[in-house]
Amino acid sequence: MITVKRLSKSFGDHEVLKNISIQVERQEVVCIIGPSGSGKSTLLRCLNLMETPTSGDVWVEGENLLDPRTDINKFRRKMGMVFQQFNLFPHMTALENITLAPTKLNRKSKTESGILARELLKKVGLTDKADAYPRSLSGGQQQRVAIARALAMEPHVMLFDEPTSALDPEMVGEVLQVMRQLAKEGMTMIIVTHEMGFAREVADRVIFMDNGMVVEEGKPGEMFVSPQNERTKLFLSKVL
Amino acid sequence: MEFWGVMSDALPTLLKGLSYTVLIALASLVLATIIGLFAGLMRISGNVILRSVAAAYINLIRGTPLLIQILFIYFGLPTVFHVNFSPLAAGIFAVSINIGAYLAEVFRAGIESIDRGQMEAGRSLGFSYAVAMRLIILPQAVRRMTPAFINQFIIGIKDTSMLSVIGVAELTMEGQSIYAMNFKSFEILTLVGLMYFIINYALTVASRWVEKKVAVS
Repeated sequence: MITVKRLSKSFGDHEVLKNISIQVERQEVVCIIGPSGSGKSTLLRCLNLMETPTSGDVWVEGENLLDPRTDINKFRRKMGMVFQQFNLFPHMTALENITLAPTKLNRKSKTESGILARELLKKVGLTDKADAYPRSLSGGQQQRVAIARALAMEPHVMLFDEPTSALDPEMVGEVLQVMRQLAKEGMTMIIVTHEMGFAREVADRVIFMDNGMVVEEGKPGEMFVSPQNERTKLFLSKVL
Repeated sequence: MEFWGVMSDALPTLLKGLSYTVLIALASLVLATIIGLFAGLMRISGNVILRSVAAAYINLIRGTPLLIQILFIYFGLPTVFHVNFSPLAAGIFAVSINIGAYLAEVFRAGIESIDRGQMEAGRSLGFSYAVAMRLIILPQAVRRMTPAFINQFIIGIKDTSMLSVIGVAELTMEGQSIYAMNFKSFEILTLVGLMYFIINYALTVASRWVEKKVAVS
């Protein structure tokens, strides 16, 4: 479904991603792990061109995103993204946050998108928060609304950029629970995370990155139990 | 009571001038807001040419006196280009581009004060830059900008008094024409000043009210 070929990305002289090639299949849940500054968030952000790669290709559902003829705005509608800092729109209620894109981009009526939004709020366990503004919600609740907002475009794949890193520890669980449910329903998911327990439990495949390169990838059962690469071993020994 | 007599004789003319001042101010402020929005957006654009044009405009206007700008548009331009503005048109034009330059900076600062993640979230949902700006960034920026905006409006209203130099029959001009005939400059100028003050003070109060409203929502 998603194919990345020889992708590189530099910020000035600093090469953040070095010649990365990965592939993600439909309905697959892939977790990207690695130390801070290893380039995992940048890689994720290259998948929907929130960052423009310096070189290489990104193919999504058979189309090259870096082809100038590709309408990137259309593609992003199929690729939901969840951010570390939630990035909810503070001047809108939870419901308005969720209905904005379907109403304006999918030309759904207010009623239609309202019904969809309420279903999604139910799914993330926030039925009673439809009219709440983001500032009155906890971090965990905000992130769940953000997930619902991304789902409202009925995306084919969901990209998660460290979705629990900005949360108080007691709120991590509720967000992971929503993600676990999504995975169960067959959503294709690419997740940058520091939650090793979650990665081990939910991921079909784990990619370990260090220093801008994919060092090792494999099934979580194998990678967490018997990592092959020295750097993977060192990293896992510190975080597990 | 000669004082009150002078005042009441002058009042109809001054009110006519005041209505002119308000009309010029409103027209200029609407135009200045449009100019300011576009110049502000150009100022933060990724396009180097747009950015430079906006920067040049803003710096040029901020670096020269409004009085010179008014004289330049009314007396300077017609000698080179074959355009003839009425004093009113020239006045509205001058005040609009002047206030527009300051509002451009207000817009720029307002937009830049919004967290980068807001634009990213909008773009990630599939909105174009322009639509995300309109639906997500500007509504938030405008709330933060309100005090600076009203401040600039007040300056704009006061600045319209300079249009008397090109013969626009606004409040200051009407005042001058009255005391030129009856020599009651103290009374007339007091009344003229008071009229400006009332409008601007009302705006200041409104601004505080809006600020409170915004702080709550």
